[in-house]
Amino acid sequence: MRVVLIGHGMVGSRFADDLVSRRPDARVTVLAKEDVAPYNRVLLSSVVAGKSDASMLSLPLESHPRIDVRQGVRAVSVNRGDCTVTDSTGEVHHYDRLVFATGSAARIPNIHGIATDLGLVPGVSVLKDLADAEQIVAQIPRARRAVVLGAGVLGLEVATGLASRGLSVTLVHHHGRLMERQLGDAASNVAEGSLGRLGVSVVTDSSVDRVTERRGVLSAVELSNGTEILADMLIMCAGTITESALARNVGLPCDRGILVGDDLASPADPKVFAIGDCAQPSEGGTGLVAQGWDQAARLVNAWSVSPGSQSHAASQGSGAKGADEMDTDLTNVVRVKAPGLDVVTMGLSGKFDHGERELRAVRMSDPSIGRFVEVVVSHGILVGATVVGDKVAAAELSAMYTRMIPVPSDPAHLIIRPLAGAVATVVTSVEDMDDDHPVCQCNSVSKGAIVAAVHDGCTTTDEVARATRASTGCGDCRSLVGDIIGSCAAPDLDTVSSDSRPADQSAATKVPALAGRTKG
Amino acid sequence: MTDSRGATESPATTAGGSVASHCPYCALQCAQTLTPTPAGSLPLEVTGRDFPTNRGGMCQKGWTSAEVLRASDRITEPMIRTADGGFRTAGWDEALDLVSSRLADIQQRYGKDKVAIFGGGGLTNEKAYLLGKFARVVLQTPFIDYNGRFCMSSAAAASNRAFGMDRGLGFPLADLGGADAVFVLGSNMGVTMPPFVQHLAGCRARGGLIVMDPRETVTAKLARDGAGIHLAPVPGSDMVVVLALTHIIFAEGLADLYYLESRAQGWEAIRRSVAQWWPERAEAVCGIPADELRRVARLLAAAAPVHGGSGAYVLTGRGVEQMSQGTACVTAAINLALTLGLVGVAGSGFGPVTGQGNGQGGREHGQKADQLPGYRMITDPAAREYVARIWGVPADHLPGAGIPAVPMLKALGTQEGARALLVHGSNVVVSAPNSGEVIDALGRLDFLVVSDLVPSETAMLADVILPVTQWAEEDGTMTNLEGRVIRRRKAVEAPGQVRSELWILRELAARLGYTTGFSDDAEEVFTELALASKGGTADYSGITYPMLDGEGVQWPCPATDVGAATSGATPLGTPRVFLDRFNTPDGRARMMVVDHHAPDDDVREGAPTYLVTGRVLQHYQSGAQTRRVEELSAAQPEPFVEVHPLFAERMGLVAGEFATLATARGHAIARVRVSADIRPDTVFMPFHWAGPGSANLLTNDVTDPISGMPEFKVTAVAVAPVATLAPIPEGATA
Repeated sequence: MRVVLIGHGMVGSRFADDLVSRRPDARVTVLAKEDVAPYNRVLLSSVVAGKSDASMLSLPLESHPRIDVRQGVRAVSVNRGDCTVTDSTGEVHHYDRLVFATGSAARIPNIHGIATDLGLVPGVSVLKDLADAEQIVAQIPRARRAVVLGAGVLGLEVATGLASRGLSVTLVHHHGRLMERQLGDAASNVAEGSLGRLGVSVVTDSSVDRVTERRGVLSAVELSNGTEILADMLIMCAGTITESALARNVGLPCDRGILVGDDLASPADPKVFAIGDCAQPSEGGTGLVAQGWDQAARLVNAWSVSPGSQSHAASQGSGAKGADEMDTDLTNVVRVKAPGLDVVTMGLSGKFDHGERELRAVRMSDPSIGRFVEVVVSHGILVGATVVGDKVAAAELSAMYTRMIPVPSDPAHLIIRPLAGAVATVVTSVEDMDDDHPVCQCNSVSKGAIVAAVHDGCTTTDEVARATRASTGCGDCRSLVGDIIGSCAAPDLDTVSSDSRPADQSAATKVPALAGRTKG
Repeated sequence: MTDSRGATESPATTAGGSVASHCPYCALQCAQTLTPTPAGSLPLEVTGRDFPTNRGGMCQKGWTSAEVLRASDRITEPMIRTADGGFRTAGWDEALDLVSSRLADIQQRYGKDKVAIFGGGGLTNEKAYLLGKFARVVLQTPFIDYNGRFCMSSAAAASNRAFGMDRGLGFPLADLGGADAVFVLGSNMGVTMPPFVQHLAGCRARGGLIVMDPRETVTAKLARDGAGIHLAPVPGSDMVVVLALTHIIFAEGLADLYYLESRAQGWEAIRRSVAQWWPERAEAVCGIPADELRRVARLLAAAAPVHGGSGAYVLTGRGVEQMSQGTACVTAAINLALTLGLVGVAGSGFGPVTGQGNGQGGREHGQKADQLPGYRMITDPAAREYVARIWGVPADHLPGAGIPAVPMLKALGTQEGARALLVHGSNVVVSAPNSGEVIDALGRLDFLVVSDLVPSETAMLADVILPVTQWAEEDGTMTNLEGRVIRRRKAVEAPGQVRSELWILRELAARLGYTTGFSDDAEEVFTELALASKGGTADYSGITYPMLDGEGVQWPCPATDVGAATSGATPLGTPRVFLDRFNTPDGRARMMVVDHHAPDDDVREGAPTYLVTGRVLQHYQSGAQTRRVEELSAAQPEPFVEVHPLFAERMGLVAGEFATLATARGHAIARVRVSADIRPDTVFMPFHWAGPGSANLLTNDVTDPISGMPEFKVTAVAVAPVATLAPIPEGATA
């Protein structure tokens, strides 16, 4: 099977690797526009924030005899009748199946003055590839003020990242709510409060109208509300547009992206497929890599020889979840990687229609400490959540959501449980312990047994150890045994406790003494 | 050293008849002094003995170990199955004649490979060695494997491919005490080997104990109150945690690049592979907050020598190993340790925490399907040549490699499998995964011979039961979790007609035509074993019984070391391995790229809960021994399922009542215990019991493609309350 793959990003590179390992007869030619090895775009904002070393972006690059990667070579045209692709060097590649994994490009809003014939004005940038990240990082030492346009996931990550590097940051957003597709009013307000504490000023319901330059370098931006903000940097995080021009040109149906069915094939051509950001499946593209990786795994599975006969384990692929079983809805966990600002949403979040399903939404709003949690449950399953400022709830809810784990009968426990879980066993005083309270776990010795040993004449932990074996395993209960001896002795006011104390103190930090022997 | 009981440094025996030996149970092999008590109710008294591993400590199992010698149903005579399905006692000659003639007959009629052997990780080195030799020399069958396959095979496979050698802990246990951080992955030593916990005191005092377990186990609780960090990932996602930690270490510039350049190969591919596991992605899979992962990575890095720490250790247990990706998961842990420059460095290290008493030695001397003594591969022509010469047969006399335990058991009685099986030191009916199928497989056999102490569930299915010695009734050596070869010593005579397996193998060999080469003297067998291991990876050739009188010897100990031994001051063997080089052709550790996959039987509609299995303190393995000790049985009398209060509430489970559990393999019933120590999406069952509460009726027998390890640790399960049989009075509270 000859496959031509256009695009070698996070989704394309994984697809090629998985395909050749599952299909021994697959040969893949990859037309990779960028002249670098595939890398992890998700971490670009972490590089800008200084949290991740740029070397961490490199993705696995296994040279494989059946994968032919043409770096720096673009696809120029496709002849669907002949099943061929012509590349920018003029070479013609025949395919049995053609896969678009061309991804997306940063949307550049219409802002007066941001570009000259030479490109974007120095100081103005987007963050879509490695070169963008490197350019931004290079500017940081000389910059004092930055404006970030767009408060989606990337915008929040860039704004907080630059703020953590000491820049004064203004975040400008066209909508009244941050991440308006994911967050409702209350959650957005809580997040906005947190941003303020991190040193990011937020201007909502506004956009950037024009930029001013001085000596060829950005000096200020003017907002649609008329405000002018001095700025050395303007980073535009105003969304993406799919890279679907070539597909459009060859007559494949496109909307926002390349339209594909559940089989990820174009409705117009069963030999042409699209995965990742450039694809527009019926459920819509999320722009999240999880969706793209899931599509790659699904496509490999569908193409592999009699997938039903594969062992279950093998069919799991390298994804986090069995691709066969994966409900595509479950890939839409949105996680903001912003230092100091934890925002996670999944499934139904923000403003959604409560009317259609039997939904139960439970929320906790705690704005003064920057916390908001909402869970949405339907038929005992978590179908959505919004979490701001609660790391533990965020982690547990997303693990639960992606696995469709049934929720507690009262969904409120989903919100309060992580906090309640922190309640340690109440350390009762020795006097309050029941007689059957286990003291020495290693030897199943209860408080009652120790008390009995003391009544039988044991006065030191060593003697109790000899009589009951308490403290002769891991030794952790030794001081507790001493306390019990002490509490038994206290009413009598005899010398028992003073005898036992020195042994306790020396033993608490050392190994337990042995039954039947004394140290030194 | 003082010891009121009179045990000393070099205590073969003392005037009082006491002997220095070690506990019959787990791989910590706590040192014991055994004092015969001819007038007592038990044959001997057991006390703890100072030793580098247990420092005199013992858990309840060790203290009560003498009880097993007097189990009321101890088998003391050979037993032969009768026509009506019962057993009758028999003399040794009759039993051995029957066994040898049936084996000979089956082999003659159907082929050499129609007889298989299943061994155990609790057998002494001598027994394990002789069992392997018996299989290859006398039976000439390739089919021998053992229950260590269920225990250490993933750890062994990962260590072997990374370091060229698997010695369990490559350092003395006591070294842990000096480290700033110890990362425990899926081990609950606070319950399985309590005296081990003493060695964690140092890192706990410095806040550096990190325990990863879906439950807040006794061990995880040791990290409370500032002593460290407990990570409770979603079952089956441990590997994601490890990959994310490695990601963070590279991303934050914390890797020991000098070490990676000089002592490892392949680190750049590792960095690329973990690039896909950024902490926020890992978070959604493992359920541990990204910042918590960062905190752990930084804690580990700060403890590493490259950042001026006093050292860090990464230890793996069955929790991460008993998975269909067990080898990969241990490999990920090794990669993490290598990334921080911890392996082959004094004061830091990596190691799996071996489970069974002789889980280490048991995997070194020929019980494994593909191995010959000294951890040699049976497929290696030079190894075959050498070992065959020791055994006095031509190399082509030896069969080739067999197959791992799970497929070997599955095939029993089928066209491809064996028709007769000898079982030694294992209760597979309880301890193997998907045990319902194992029982069926044993039922298909023409002939089953079980050597055992007591009528274990497996023995009860046998055609012939051979009563064997144990622990205080025999001499031999064990190799503990730190690769330390130690002496087991005889303190009392075995009851009745009980015989050592060495004697049984000698007798069977003679009846099958091999009148020499099978000694029943443990020291003679050890001398031969040492020679057979010479030049192998696990080289014991420099070790003799007298050398083991003190603190034992950590292998490798080639014969050339013996000269140094005479001074007495020079430590013998190799306490710390890999200090100069790894056991690979170029001396560098190999870093292998691995990636995570979800559990084979993941949660789904109809089975939306994770089942994890494990142990309780009072029982050992299948419980065949410990369930017969009254004190232990009283403390843990029956199977149970541990559930979170929220789970109990949702499912209508009531503490103290019964729940039914169902997986794709089978059903079980267990009493409900409610505990906030477990994740609400997970239930836990210990696997020590047989019958309807046997956890292994539920477990998944899918295996790791490299190690053959079954996926004991995670499967999807449906849990429901069992309707109470007695009518509930009207108005009673639920």
